[in-house]
Amino acid sequence: MALPRPTLIEFDRVSLGFDAQPVLEDVSFAVRRSETKVLLGETGAGKSVVLKLAIWLLRPDAGRVEVLGEAVSRLPERELYALRRRIGIVFQESALFDSLTVRENVAYRLEEERRLSEDEIEARVRACLAAVELEEAIDKMPAELSGGMQRRVSIARALSTEPEILLYDSPTGGLDPITATNIMEQIIRLRDVNRVTALLVTHRLQDGFLMATHCWDPEANALRAAAAEDHATSFLVLHQRRVLFDGPLQALRGSGDAYLKQFLTT
Amino acid sequence: MAAIAPPQGEESGAWPLAVWGRRQLEGLGAFSSFTGTAFRNMFARPFYGGDLLLQMDAIGVGSLPIVVLTGFFTGAVMALQLAATLNQYGQIERTGQLVALSLVRELGPVLTGLMVAGRNSAGMASELGSMVVTEQVDAMRALGTDPVKKLVTPRLLGTIVMMFFLAIVADLCGLIGGFLYAVFSLGLDPRQYWYTAMQSLAATDISQGLIKPVVFGTIVAAVGCYYGMSARGGTRGVGKATTTSVVAASVLIILSDFLISRVLIGIFGA
Repeated sequence: MALPRPTLIEFDRVSLGFDAQPVLEDVSFAVRRSETKVLLGETGAGKSVVLKLAIWLLRPDAGRVEVLGEAVSRLPERELYALRRRIGIVFQESALFDSLTVRENVAYRLEEERRLSEDEIEARVRACLAAVELEEAIDKMPAELSGGMQRRVSIARALSTEPEILLYDSPTGGLDPITATNIMEQIIRLRDVNRVTALLVTHRLQDGFLMATHCWDPEANALRAAAAEDHATSFLVLHQRRVLFDGPLQALRGSGDAYLKQFLTT
Repeated sequence: MAAIAPPQGEESGAWPLAVWGRRQLEGLGAFSSFTGTAFRNMFARPFYGGDLLLQMDAIGVGSLPIVVLTGFFTGAVMALQLAATLNQYGQIERTGQLVALSLVRELGPVLTGLMVAGRNSAGMASELGSMVVTEQVDAMRALGTDPVKKLVTPRLLGTIVMMFFLAIVADLCGLIGGFLYAVFSLGLDPRQYWYTAMQSLAATDISQGLIKPVVFGTIVAAVGCYYGMSARGGTRGVGKATTTSVVAASVLIILSDFLISRVLIGIFGA
């Protein structure tokens, strides 16, 4: 019998508000190693806030956030910087440093750490850009790239230190369907090839369904329908600041909750 | 210290005085803590030497033309205005002395401070504010970098160092401007101008002239960075942070000029 995989992200009755307005209330969930949790919910449900709590850019008003075995509330900010290096994040609007080239953006964390030689950093940067099929853009500035390309550079930057956890904040938001599918292919490939633990925030149901029903075929170098539902991908639906659903795709589709039914059909 | 409270977006309705006062105190506390952290970072690894040199170039070399022009014409206009008054008392040969004293004690550092505030406080607030609203600062934190150490400390140190030298340049250019007007327009003896100018400057004058730029540099960078890092609400918030930073830095420069002058005159005498 296989040992249960360790929990890498755990939210325990987490609440947070801004200016006396509650944003999250009693949110609890866990993400195990190599699992991908897809966060769904309408705009303003607090999905991005969950990601920022997971990387300790925000601290909860109440409850406990534990990531990589460390409780955020017990650590001072300077110690968090070291821990954040084990987590990669792709921001909603890419958040690339607009005064740095693509190479410098992807190499940023490696240059800061100063553990690798220049040649090793160059090789790592090219490998990360190759993983998102964007090696040719290495010398360009972010302003010269399309929205989809910026999103892919952001993924490459998040991958640069081979993080244990990847956090995606609406990686396909605002993109055309072809580019969005291309981005999702990259994310599924990372999940299946690198076995990275991930939290994926999206308001596009089809992205979550694609994650759960498809896998990466290394021989064909393309996505294919999975023979069975991928149990490493689960769903978390936020509604009115609380967790409404937490479970696999099959349970989500079979839920009798009126809001969920409406959410899934509109 | 109304100018110190960070921009928090629109607030509707009138605030009771106590709430307003508390907000200003909280803002002052946050500003002090922010500036203290930026200073402490100067003595902690990692050191961003490349960023420091870039900032020194942008702040120092970039501000040189306006400081030279401001200093030069301030010196010339000082000679023009003072000569008319001194002539009434038959003391026109003291023009160099008064130009030197006014420039080194007050006008050189203060005008340099105001020029650099207008140029660099605004630049820092808008640059950092844009980074905040586009999540670049959050990205920096997420990538394991302390944004205060990386973005604020080099600007603070760079401004302090360059303000010191810019004030000296402004003093020198002002003396040259006054000299050219005094010699070619008033017909004063060149050697007499420089002799009276140099003889009049005492240690207290020079210490005032060198301490003030350091304080003003701290104000320019700390205020610009603080408002930039506090920017909220998209491009409108960045614009508001930029405008407020220039106003706050200018007011604080004038205020601190009075306080420093009072303290130094109290110590060294007039």
